[in-house]
Amino acid sequence: MEKLTDEILMSQVAHGNLEVLKILFERHHRHVFNFLYKMSGNRMLSEDITQEVFYKLMKYRTSYNDGKFVSWLFTIARNSLNTHFRRVSNTYEDIDTLDYKMVAEEAAQEDYSDLHLAINQLDATDRELVILNRIQEIKYKELAEIVGSTPGAVKTKVSRALKKLKTIYFQNI
Amino acid sequence: MEKHHITALLPEYLDDLLSETQRKKVAAHLKDCKPCAQELEALKTVFMAFEDEKEHTPSDRLRSNFFAQIEQEKAHSSKVVSIDRTSPENKSKWINKVLKIAASVALLVGVYFFGKQQQEQKSDLAIAQLTHETLAFKQTAMLSLMGNKSASKRIQGVNFIAEFTDPDDAIVRALADRMLHDENTNVRSTAVEVLSEFTSSTTVKDSFIKALKTEKDPGIQISIIQVLGKMQEKKAAASMQYLLEQNDTQPYVKDALESVLPNII
Repeated sequence: MEKLTDEILMSQVAHGNLEVLKILFERHHRHVFNFLYKMSGNRMLSEDITQEVFYKLMKYRTSYNDGKFVSWLFTIARNSLNTHFRRVSNTYEDIDTLDYKMVAEEAAQEDYSDLHLAINQLDATDRELVILNRIQEIKYKELAEIVGSTPGAVKTKVSRALKKLKTIYFQNI
Repeated sequence: MEKHHITALLPEYLDDLLSETQRKKVAAHLKDCKPCAQELEALKTVFMAFEDEKEHTPSDRLRSNFFAQIEQEKAHSSKVVSIDRTSPENKSKWINKVLKIAASVALLVGVYFFGKQQQEQKSDLAIAQLTHETLAFKQTAMLSLMGNKSASKRIQGVNFIAEFTDPDDAIVRALADRMLHDENTNVRSTAVEVLSEFTSSTTVKDSFIKALKTEKDPGIQISIIQVLGKMQEKKAAASMQYLLEQNDTQPYVKDALESVLPNII
């Protein structure tokens, strides 16, 4: 059971074997959490949304279409986070502004690495690509599925985002 | 010009995702181009930082909460546990379809028979009503015919009654009235004949006994005597005895009386 691919396990979940969700949770919850944490800079919020993501996985299990599990998982994570920001940013016009502000507010309380601080200064789209590609080690093909683009376009975007990040990183240290 | 191409390929170069020819090209370029080599070094540092970036671990609250949600969901949908992926679903879909078709067929047949029955009921009702109307009409016709001045019309009216299986009291009384009081012998005779069909009615019985006393026509007298004899009506015995003792009673009527009387008593 532990050696089966995510896709096989998820299709078992889709057919009612909910116990298997625990294996998928153990495999991926840390990745989802770290993605959300890097994106939002908020630990509590990231935990809440991680739980929400896995709950959605369970709730909408029958709509799993046998595609790449990781793509599906991070698509849900990404949408959940966006929904959250949209909800709290009713008064703000730009999601990115709020996103950035939240990070800045909490930066004092949380201990961020230099890299994390540099990542925070990227805009949300670049940040997302960098985190998913470099930290979650998601390949270009899946990354394209998650953000709704083509592998080629994603490759270029990641490359540019990394260049920006590199500049910011070396300015800070 | 070529330098730009190279910097774009550097991440893939570091990840070792390039094809062999591309990789060789980049490597060759890096030897000659200092800025690109610096760029590579910088990117390497950033990649190292990514490698060193510690992974944060969420609290156990997350796991326990989610596992609790799983248990809740299990309890909620305990029936849906199936390992086989398609067959139960397909089967139930198939059964569903068959059931749907069966239901529509049943509905169709049901509606057909319901309609048919309804139609039958209606026509039955119509027939019953018509029969009833005909009878009512005949009754009226008969009653009016019996009051007619022409004796043959009255006989026709009396004869109508033979068609009634269960004539009501008014008809029986009208008929008995004809038998007792009609001035025409033939009408009285026909009335006796028709009334003999309804001997179960007490009105009919009493009328026969009464007629036995009043009737003067020997033919009719004999008919009445025969009917009463068949009925074995004990109440008629007194009237018969009376008739037997009368002097003006015809001898053959007396004969008839004598042959019937012993059977009754």
